[in-house]
Amino acid sequence: MSNPSAISFVMKRPWLQKWLEPLASWYSNAAGYRQMGLRADDLIPEESDSVQLALKRLPPKEAYDRVFRLRRAFQCSVSHRLLPKEEWTKPEEDLPYLSKIIKDIEAEINEREDLETMIVTKRAQNAKSAAH
Amino acid sequence: MFSRPSVCRVAQSAARRQSAQPIHRRGLASPASGSFQYQTGEAKGVKFASRDFAGPTTTLALVSKAGTRYQPLPGLTEGLKNYAFRSTERRSTLRIVRESELLGAEINAYHTRENLVLEAKFLRDDLPYFVELLAEVASSTKYQAHTYNEEVLPLIHMAHKAFLADTTDMAINSAHSLAFHRGLGTPTASASTTPYTKYLSHESIEYFAKIAYAKPNFAVVANGAEHSELSKWVNEMFDNVPAEAPESWSKAGDEQTKYYGGEERIAHDGGNSLVIGFSGSSSVTGKFYKPEISVLAELLGGQSAIKWSPGFSLLANAAAPGARVNTKSAIYSDAGLLFTTITGPAQAVKATAVEAVNAIKKIASGEISKEAIQKAKAAAKFKELEYGQDVKAGLELTGAGLVHARQPYQIDEVAKKVDGVTEEQVKSAAKSLLENKATVSAVGDLFVLPYAGELGLNV
Repeated sequence: MSNPSAISFVMKRPWLQKWLEPLASWYSNAAGYRQMGLRADDLIPEESDSVQLALKRLPPKEAYDRVFRLRRAFQCSVSHRLLPKEEWTKPEEDLPYLSKIIKDIEAEINEREDLETMIVTKRAQNAKSAAH
Repeated sequence: MFSRPSVCRVAQSAARRQSAQPIHRRGLASPASGSFQYQTGEAKGVKFASRDFAGPTTTLALVSKAGTRYQPLPGLTEGLKNYAFRSTERRSTLRIVRESELLGAEINAYHTRENLVLEAKFLRDDLPYFVELLAEVASSTKYQAHTYNEEVLPLIHMAHKAFLADTTDMAINSAHSLAFHRGLGTPTASASTTPYTKYLSHESIEYFAKIAYAKPNFAVVANGAEHSELSKWVNEMFDNVPAEAPESWSKAGDEQTKYYGGEERIAHDGGNSLVIGFSGSSSVTGKFYKPEISVLAELLGGQSAIKWSPGFSLLANAAAPGARVNTKSAIYSDAGLLFTTITGPAQAVKATAVEAVNAIKKIASGEISKEAIQKAKAAAKFKELEYGQDVKAGLELTGAGLVHARQPYQIDEVAKKVDGVTEEQVKSAAKSLLENKATVSAVGDLFVLPYAGELGLNV
């Protein structure tokens, strides 16, 4: 599952966006993953079918970079160190590369469920001609 | 639910319709009847044709000049075929499937050497929906990378495996590539000889789609739809397809096809097939139409049309036991291949191949009874009419005719031309087959299967 996000709600309201943006960037920095060279999307739990499929759909370069970031972060964690400051993830690099794909997959799954539980009604003209 | 009287009424009207049909059909078989004719039109640059068969169903097809002959890189046609009816900008694959199922329709995509055909069969009322669907497939299919990896590529691998397992298919494809080299000679399935996924990616397929679905390169053909209706919907729906193919595209396959001929032998464990081919006739919409070739094909024949009898054809009577023989005049827009396919045990194939060449020699020297030629003419005419009446073939030929020559394939004309073939024409056609270069392709047990030279053909 992709991370829950209120971004579309906030983006629609410029005043709210203006007010929340500093708070959000403060939070992202304080969360500490950027100091380990990770992106927010690297933190999405992998243990679900939709995320597994999304990982398979990543372009080869993105998939390679993701594994690199995770390994580097793991090393940092084991050695109880942060990366040197110039290697921290910059805010403009922290892009949602995976959530987009997960959302597409979830939309597919939802659509399938909707179609599966759909109630079929006869078209008005056909129903009329059958009744005669 | 249906009330009883209404069921009765439906049954009655169905019975009436059935009893009315034979009369109708008899009308169609005579070449003078006009009901076979396709009406053609053009709406905002999109060519379309229709014929209004009385009946509750419609078959609609988008015929694109994008068969294997016209692919700029190997495998693109197959890739594009497998991308048909997948997610578009507006609908997902699943939604297209489910909606068509709810309407009780069949949708299908296939390709031949010259054409890529998207086909839909449905109830008459649903015409607007399916015109829109075909337009959507042509204009806004999403060529996504993951669709290619998850859905398209496995199908291509499967077709490749099926191709490698089928000796007859291999022999026919090998014969085509010998006869026409590039263009028409490109194998229809990914053959073993081409590195078949090397040039394929979702991007190259998307590029090819822009060529295949550009307005000058396809036609919409309908069977069982009112012409005015079709014209209206085509006019409305096809706004988003590209008006012209991108300028940079290589016009692969556009040059006039030349016949080369030659011999190829492929070792195979799974059976024995031998194809003996000769330069044939183009489609009637093309420039090199020779009706006597189709008569010759019937005269050689191989498969009986009549139960409990080998039939009149020369090869059916001469075939060694165990061998299956079939002669076909494959027609394309600007060339054709007349070929005999022999399959079966190696020894039987060998014996039958010798007989096949003898049969052609016999025809050339005029040792054939008038009656046999008469029968062959009747059979050729029947086959042609039946083939044209067969909705599927008719759609493809008509669409191709529209795209290539701007005229539909009118079966009535073909029937007339076949009627006019004389005995002398058949004889001279057979003679020219023997004088010109032949195409011989053997797949199977090469120790037994004969060389072209052994059969007395020059390659």
